[in-house]
Amino acid sequence: MNATTSDTKTTRTICGYCGVGCSLDLVTRDNRIIAVHPAFDGPANQGALCVKGQFAYDYVHHPDRLTHPLVRDEAGQLRRASWDEALQRAALGFKNVEQKHGRHAVYGVASGRTPSEANYMMQKFIRVGFGTNYIDNCSRA
Amino acid sequence: MSNPLADMEKPDVIFCIGTNMTEAHPVAATRLKKALARGAKMIVADPRRIRLAEMADLYLPIRVGSDTALLLGMAHVIVREGLADSEFIAARTEGYEELVDHLQEKTPEWAESITGVPAAMIEEAAILYGSSGKAAIYYTLGITEHICGVENVQSLCNLALLTGNFGREGTGVNPMRGQNNIQGAGDSGALPNNYAGFQPVDDAANQAKFEKAYGRKVDLEKGITKVTALDQCGDRIFAMLIDGENTVVSDPDQEHCIHALKSLEHLVVIDIFLTETAELADVVLPAASWAETDGNFVNTERRIQRVRKAVEPPGEARPDWWIIGRIAQRMGMSGMDYDSPVPIFNELCELSPIYQGIDWDLAEGGQYQWPIPYRGHPGTPRLHEDGFINGRGKFSFTDYRDPAETIDEDYPLWLTTGRRLESYHTRTQTGRSEGINDLLPEETLEVHPSDAARFGLHDGGWARMSSRRGAVDVRVETTRRSPQGTVFASFSFADVPINVLTGSGYDPITHTAELKVCPVHVEPIAERTRLTAD
Repeated sequence: MNATTSDTKTTRTICGYCGVGCSLDLVTRDNRIIAVHPAFDGPANQGALCVKGQFAYDYVHHPDRLTHPLVRDEAGQLRRASWDEALQRAALGFKNVEQKHGRHAVYGVASGRTPSEANYMMQKFIRVGFGTNYIDNCSRA
Repeated sequence: MSNPLADMEKPDVIFCIGTNMTEAHPVAATRLKKALARGAKMIVADPRRIRLAEMADLYLPIRVGSDTALLLGMAHVIVREGLADSEFIAARTEGYEELVDHLQEKTPEWAESITGVPAAMIEEAAILYGSSGKAAIYYTLGITEHICGVENVQSLCNLALLTGNFGREGTGVNPMRGQNNIQGAGDSGALPNNYAGFQPVDDAANQAKFEKAYGRKVDLEKGITKVTALDQCGDRIFAMLIDGENTVVSDPDQEHCIHALKSLEHLVVIDIFLTETAELADVVLPAASWAETDGNFVNTERRIQRVRKAVEPPGEARPDWWIIGRIAQRMGMSGMDYDSPVPIFNELCELSPIYQGIDWDLAEGGQYQWPIPYRGHPGTPRLHEDGFINGRGKFSFTDYRDPAETIDEDYPLWLTTGRRLESYHTRTQTGRSEGINDLLPEETLEVHPSDAARFGLHDGGWARMSSRRGAVDVRVETTRRSPQGTVFASFSFADVPINVLTGSGYDPITHTAELKVCPVHVEPIAERTRLTAD
């Protein structure tokens, strides 16, 4: 979508809060969400939404959103970094720990909030990267 | 859930236990309301007089952590009253005779002595549930977040097996999953004991299958759970990759958790905000949010549904799958260089028997509930219709155990924790939503008026609440929603970090924390001085 147009666009998606999985339509304009419409043909919700699903979407555009990678500097502070530097630091750190402490020293925690594709990548990262089953998601707490 | 959400409108008798559904799963609760309007009866067992309890025909005010005793007492009555479904038991279960022996001593009077619920009410509940044509059980974390979470679930299954309430419309044992894609996280293999599609890692055939697919032989031994991993930080675990979880606020025993993460040599956190957990990281990677990414969520009824990108992520934020793949590539891993979520989902489907019948394109319409074992299969809205996956349904010989910690002179009140309608988890999202913050600006401790009088607390005043692990300051709300002897707070507010207090024990099998039970001491204070765990 062209960010300069003022046309509204509607995107069918699934609520990001609890596990009921309500269908909803995100109404967007100029790359911002301006409304949420409940989907009357949503199999889980049949047109219903709760206060969170209906109204709690403005966090998406909150100024606190992380917009660039951060790495910890020598003084112990998080500072802005490029993707190139941050990915290199992330990868090197895992490599170093594996070399020093063995492949069972690295652990992955997947999210109950991200799409399945991210969960699948997390478990594949641990299993292919280290040959271990040192992976879990956040369902136990 | 064994049964689809649509079935929530169909039972004759609804049994809700350990679920605050009108607050935690409000839209699912609307479907129960439709059943009630049609004339269905509802039993609610919960320590707190929640909204659902007010709607119930029969409310059982159980003491926190006593669920197994209640359920054994109900099973005893079902057998004693001849309400067991002998045809179903003969055809589809095993262990019935042993169960009858086991239940002999589990009288409603015995259950009353533990739960505090009068024996007559336990009998009434058992007879109502057991004599119904279609009875359905709904539960949430009030059942599982205990040291006996497994026994609680098994005790619920006993009731459904005894009465033949499986595999039919409006029946079943139905856990309500708490997060949008917690089901999908397990389905995708983000578990220490299972590959994708719940294929056990300790089965050599599965090891060989994934070695072929991944080009690397993975340990035949199960991994450790996150709980164990946190215990081993700085000892055996030295690096973690955490995606989208605010561990510091959501997990029990906050001080222990912070110490664990700080003792790592390398912590990488992927998130959309600089959470309390991300603040401890060596590398923080900015993720695209739910409205900015394409993929699939799996809901509580095992329905695979498409999420779609509606807006661009801010700045340089990227989808989680992209970030993880790019770290992997930098480490020299092969087979991680995906350019879209489509081949990732298709690979998950190919490797998972329960997803075998679909792919990205077929999942588009959201009509499939797994298992979908082959192409052309319509999916499985209702489990166990023709039989149980592993043959016969096994009765479990559960017993009551005390919680990890029980009240005493020093910690005389039970604290139980949970969610509130207007806030979600650790408020990284809802705390940044203006209208929501107006609705629920701060956390309160819900205290029965007589307990408030006993401990010198005042409605609107401040209390310091302590457990064996720490203390928090919190504003007091006197309410009869809390029973005498039990107080309640949510874990959502980082400035009232309730999980400083929790963490007394874990279920030995699932490693789920006993977040629902924590003995505490409360005292009045003039003003709040403790703001964080530090």
